[in-house]
Amino acid sequence: MSKKNKVEKSYFDRVHAWGRISSITALCVMIMFPLSICLYLGVWPSFSGVMAGLLKLIPLYWSLAVIEVLIYTPMLGAGGTYLSFVTGNITNLKLPCAIGAMENAKVKANSEEGEVISTIAIATSSIVTTVIIAVGVLVFKPFLPAFTSSELLMPAFKQVQPALFGALAAGYFSKHWKISIFPILVMLGVLLVAPGLDAGTLLFPGIVASVVGAFAMWKFKIVK
Amino acid sequence: MDFKESTGLYLIAGGVIAFILVQSIFFLVKAWKQGEKLGIDKKKLRNTITSSAVFTIPSALSVLATVIVLAPSLGLVIPWVRLSVLGNLLYETKAAGDAMSALGQEGGISSTITDPAVFAGVAWVMTLGICFSLVLLPFVAKPLHKKILNVGKKDETKEETGEKKEKKSNGIGGFIDLLTPAVFIGLIGAFVARAIAGKGKPETFGDGAGVLSVITLVVAVVASLILEYISKKFKLTWLEPFVMPIGMIIAMVVAVVAYNVLPPELAVLEWRG
Repeated sequence: MSKKNKVEKSYFDRVHAWGRISSITALCVMIMFPLSICLYLGVWPSFSGVMAGLLKLIPLYWSLAVIEVLIYTPMLGAGGTYLSFVTGNITNLKLPCAIGAMENAKVKANSEEGEVISTIAIATSSIVTTVIIAVGVLVFKPFLPAFTSSELLMPAFKQVQPALFGALAAGYFSKHWKISIFPILVMLGVLLVAPGLDAGTLLFPGIVASVVGAFAMWKFKIVK
Repeated sequence: MDFKESTGLYLIAGGVIAFILVQSIFFLVKAWKQGEKLGIDKKKLRNTITSSAVFTIPSALSVLATVIVLAPSLGLVIPWVRLSVLGNLLYETKAAGDAMSALGQEGGISSTITDPAVFAGVAWVMTLGICFSLVLLPFVAKPLHKKILNVGKKDETKEETGEKKEKKSNGIGGFIDLLTPAVFIGLIGAFVARAIAGKGKPETFGDGAGVLSVITLVVAVVASLILEYISKKFKLTWLEPFVMPIGMIIAMVVAVVAYNVLPPELAVLEWRG
């Protein structure tokens, strides 16, 4: 093995060592956030309430975490993976940014050069995003009370979910309309029988129907 | 003063944000130095920074728009931190709604948190619910990455020796590409279906499916599709990341107009009671 290869290999090892430390540190910092809120406000939420909330999220989010780590790690490179998972917004921002940067620089993903370019792109993207959100939040802060107490704007904030998920649905359903119809019909059917179900519960039969329906369509070559 | 907007909470958030910045700068500097060691042209490295920054600005503004949309319910601090660290739009909105209903806050993200204990509980649920990937990464990333590098090297060797690459057999692997969209469609579909046919809490206006929820939903879908068509037709790449937030804002504006223009009994009609 040449000296150059040894240097490159040790760089990967070092990136993983830094990445492991930064992931664990980020985890600690994240847990410090709600802890600091409790200490600062001098309040503690009910344990049963927090557990009930977590039980709604964990089956879905933790399974998705496993899928995302397995899918994105090969695409993002070592440094890019650790940074992306800490800063989030992977599909809509970090991944396209890294892919675009590697294309522009004409380097291959999973090569040493690709690793460097991908990490620089994702780090830059993280810094720019963090700064823009921070500046935006501080600028918007003085106007927030006018938003929350306005009688005129009240119906808008009562309809945040249909607005938000309608806009998201337009993008996802139009790209994958064949696999979207079946789960929507299943969920509407479930609501006909049990109209009071909240979305957090309804999404479980929805996801099962969606995955099973998509698998069947893929198996019968209706979708690729 | 609203407790959600107190200076102390902003300082706590500032600490988290500072950590993210330091970490990103650290990786940026290390990768830059490695790029120099590998002999990558400095101009190429600089161009990567410039193009990535420009590429990021529209998407970052759309993330900011989401923070602002969630702010009337949660305040600015939680959405700010959750969307700057690990979060994304879809996860955080659902997590906030689930956390609020589990902690007894009626109306989900359509309502405003007034109880500090509920606020703290939402912060716990949103944080612990999303952090599993950070637990996995230290164990999984390195072995997985090494495997990928080895596969890449084998492919390169095959190419060099002129060996023909065989196409992967069409096993279950082909379905993996559909799995994530299918999960997301199930997730988004639950909120869509509920806006069409869900029964709300009788004491909370706007919680159930009715005239206003369907108008908002339809306008959000149509406006987003039109904006996407315009951005593609006229090659307006800057518009693409804004399609969703602008579609969402148009729908909310229409909800306000409809509520004030429609006859009152029609505007508040929720057909599942």
